[in-house]
Amino acid sequence: MRITTWGLVTVLLMVLDWTRPGSPSALRPICDPLVLDRFIQESRDIELAMGTCRDRCRLSESLTVPRTSVDFAAWERKDVREQTQEVQEGLRLLGQAIERVKASVSDTALIGLLDSSYDNIHSIKQVIRSLDMQDWSPSSRTWDTWTVSSMPELFRVHTNFLRGKVHLLLSRAPACRQENH
Amino acid sequence: MTMLRKTQHFGLLIFFLSQKASLETVDRHFESKVDLLLNVETENPKCFAEGMRDLTCFWEDEDGGSADQYSFTYTYENEKSSECKVTSQPAEGAKTRYFCHLPKVQHFGDLYLRVFRDGLQIYNRSLLINLLFWLDPPANLTVTQTGKLGQLKVTWLPPPLKYMENSMMYEVRYTAGSTWKEKVVRESTEITLQGLQVNTKYKVQVRVKPDGLTYDGFWSSWTLPVSMTTAPKDVDPLILALCLIITFVLVLLSLTALVSHRSSLQKKMWPLIPSPENKFPGLFTVYGGDFQEWLGHSGGGLRPSPAFFFFEELPAMLEVLSEATPVPPRSVESRACNLPESGCKENEEDLQNAESGQEGWQPTPPAHWLMKHFQTLQQGPSPFSWSTQLESKDSYVTLDHSFQPKPQETPMDDISEESAPLRVLFTSAEISASHSDLGSLPQSSRSGRLSSESSLEYPHSIWPPKGISYASLTLADSGVSVDYSPMNSIRTAAGGIGGFYNNDYKNEIPKPNEPLSGCPIYSAC
Repeated sequence: MRITTWGLVTVLLMVLDWTRPGSPSALRPICDPLVLDRFIQESRDIELAMGTCRDRCRLSESLTVPRTSVDFAAWERKDVREQTQEVQEGLRLLGQAIERVKASVSDTALIGLLDSSYDNIHSIKQVIRSLDMQDWSPSSRTWDTWTVSSMPELFRVHTNFLRGKVHLLLSRAPACRQENH
Repeated sequence: MTMLRKTQHFGLLIFFLSQKASLETVDRHFESKVDLLLNVETENPKCFAEGMRDLTCFWEDEDGGSADQYSFTYTYENEKSSECKVTSQPAEGAKTRYFCHLPKVQHFGDLYLRVFRDGLQIYNRSLLINLLFWLDPPANLTVTQTGKLGQLKVTWLPPPLKYMENSMMYEVRYTAGSTWKEKVVRESTEITLQGLQVNTKYKVQVRVKPDGLTYDGFWSSWTLPVSMTTAPKDVDPLILALCLIITFVLVLLSLTALVSHRSSLQKKMWPLIPSPENKFPGLFTVYGGDFQEWLGHSGGGLRPSPAFFFFEELPAMLEVLSEATPVPPRSVESRACNLPESGCKENEEDLQNAESGQEGWQPTPPAHWLMKHFQTLQQGPSPFSWSTQLESKDSYVTLDHSFQPKPQETPMDDISEESAPLRVLFTSAEISASHSDLGSLPQSSRSGRLSSESSLEYPHSIWPPKGISYASLTLADSGVSVDYSPMNSIRTAAGGIGGFYNNDYKNEIPKPNEPLSGCPIYSAC
């Protein structure tokens, strides 16, 4: 009886630990701007590598990608939560688009570029997670999106998205501001 | 009230003037950018952003038209196109510049521009505004000395643009007068220039540009030059302090060495003048240097050595001392009888004389004194000079003119007297033969060797002096170990006394040509 009771208590504690909401990230906040700069440079290199590709890089279907243009005044009017959600939604859309393109491409060089681009997005998500901003569930509102029909356009969107919204979000991350001050 | 109004008006005037000044400055910067971009940018329209919320596009035309002829449209991604109002400005060479300041700016997204003239599109361009920044030069450029030689510290303020703090790169250039040197600085708003000439005036300028990753653009114009002179060459206070400490330590060590070796140094630098005070106790302390008095009171304090008074004057001539018979008359006679007949008779007379002088014959004087005496004589100018003290001594041989050496005898006339102050003169084989009577004395008939055992008898029997060419004196055997064989003495002791004593003392008559310097010949008497 005693063993059984203790076992139940242990299981209960484990369950509570799993379901505990808002658990802090175990990752150390990545606040170095050079980290994002490196991702931006990688993305730009992929975009330049894709520059000469025209016809064989045309997509069979249009892909939904996030809007990259940023109005500073409008951006500053949004709070950090909304900004984070917008960035996370954009990263999700980009990831989806890359996976769909990769499935329809047989060129190994292109596949290599697509893999690099996908790893890039995955790393950005990890950086955001380190800043403890990943658990905000996306709202039901519609986000600004548009469509692309070629791979060069897709990678251009990728680069501009990192330069713009992701960069703005990470440069003003609350976790990094707390470290600096 | 009047004063208040006047003050208000004055304040407004100042405000407007300042605004105008800033605008003029901005215009000046703007004008320079436009001028520069016309040469740099190849695409049309030429566009640049000065801040986060503006974009200026322009183009130049020579047709002399007006702004109304042109229309400028811009379209952001997936948006409707918008129109921008065109303004014109006259330029050099009958050219006209047309400008468009976009009211709405969006970064990180493609912007499509189109220019129409009289309804016809003349220019078309797609661009990203975040890549077209043309910033103003950095403000508050400051150049200061760092305290080290050949260094200057340069600091400035970054452009006051939000979100772009970490995306700037700067270029610093400096000169001492002739050539400019440039350095690129990233992610920092200060730099320390090194390797500069000392005590030299340098001019420094800075310009800025986005780093090209997130934001990009054109190099800004150079700031106004700021001059600063580098520090003159001066002794580093640390080095100076170290030198002083080392000098102090060395001085301390040398003083310590001087103090510890004071006595030895004193002796070397001021050598002690020997003072005879210890020999004359009380002479200086009691009697004040008065020797007469000291002598009177000293009593037995003075113990002069015999040599102290002797030989004040070296005697010049050999004095013939009183004859003495060194041996009993019988033995002398027997010896004399062994002599050749010619010499025997003569010798008899001499022996008688010698007998008469026998009374004056005295026992052997102290050997030590005698030897010392004759050593001193040797050093004298004349070998045959001796003092009267010898009169009291007995062991001597007197040679007078009656002595004649045997023909076989090697003549000794040419022998230097000075070289051999004392010599034993050997006359003949008979003489040497007579030696055997004295005892076991090795002899040689012709060589004239003289070997002696008995010191007392020997010399007097030998010398029936007749017709001597020189006189010599034989010393008693004082027990001093001397080997005066002339051959040896030349080699061993030049002018000195050396050798070893043995009973078989031998002498040789030196040959005529043989140098006899310092070869005293002794015969044990």
